[in-house]
Amino acid sequence: MKWNEQDIENYVGAKEYIDTIILPLLPFQLSQDANTKKDAFASEVLTIFSNEIEKELTGRILLTPSYYYLKSADKEQEVKRLNAWVEDMKKQPFKHIFYVSFDSSWKKNEKDLNGNLLWLPGIQSGDVHSEEMQKLIRQQVQQIVELIRSYW
Amino acid sequence: MSEEKQQVSRRQFLNYTLTGVGGFMAAGLLISPIRMAIDPVLKPSSAGEYANVGLAVEDITTEPQRVDWKIDQVDGWYESKVNRSAWVFKNENDEIMALSPTCTHLGCVVSWEGSEDHPNEFFCPCHDGRYYKDGTNIAGTPPTRPLDLYDHKVENGMLYLGKAQVRGEA
Repeated sequence: MKWNEQDIENYVGAKEYIDTIILPLLPFQLSQDANTKKDAFASEVLTIFSNEIEKELTGRILLTPSYYYLKSADKEQEVKRLNAWVEDMKKQPFKHIFYVSFDSSWKKNEKDLNGNLLWLPGIQSGDVHSEEMQKLIRQQVQQIVELIRSYW
Repeated sequence: MSEEKQQVSRRQFLNYTLTGVGGFMAAGLLISPIRMAIDPVLKPSSAGEYANVGLAVEDITTEPQRVDWKIDQVDGWYESKVNRSAWVFKNENDEIMALSPTCTHLGCVVSWEGSEDHPNEFFCPCHDGRYYKDGTNIAGTPPTRPLDLYDHKVENGMLYLGKAQVRGEA
């Protein structure tokens, strides 16, 4: 399920079946010219990833709006804000929270995060619409789906 | 003889030419509005359209295999390519079956023999929904109706799939 009217309507009607949150973490910055293109690309790919995971397991997970943060921001502060998000989500019967990110700096703060961090090695560049990229993403999504299922 | 020869007067000649040219101009002006007015009729309905899924009929076996294809979908705001999938196989009567992989419970993607504990069945990973090979939901599992069945046709030995049809409760 996604954060849109139709899906949320379905969610409200079937709450007891949906116990898992997918929360994409997307870095953003415009100050370093050298990295902007790479960061924009990573955000594009992660969005595709999250949507594909949602598509496979739509009946049991809710894909929340992405969490955007400044790349240079203090991770401790961000963790605090994220935990506030999660606290709000836990007002509903969610048992599993998965963060998905390409940003390895979250790894260091993983223990403070309320939930499981799925860190994926990023794809640096390429054409997201090309056949090979789609195949690659589909295969990785299959593995992530397996991983999520092992928590259920 | 000479009296019977058709004489075209200057006036008649000009009349004919001007009506002819004028007619062409009027037709030229009218053709776009007319085309616009009947345009919706000329557009093929995208809903009932069949798409070539890239599978030859001779390659269809009794073992369900997954096929993926893309269709154009106009979605209010934008037109996009949408991925479609189906599980295709031949049933015991040698008929082609193309089942939608969307679980009728809450829409997860089911797969053939997706669970080792339940061979010869479609399995939904989300809430352990199960279906028999013909797509009928197994009582006692969450789904409430069978998997949708795609319309299909065969052209030049290739499989074409159309709309997914909802089937009644088991």
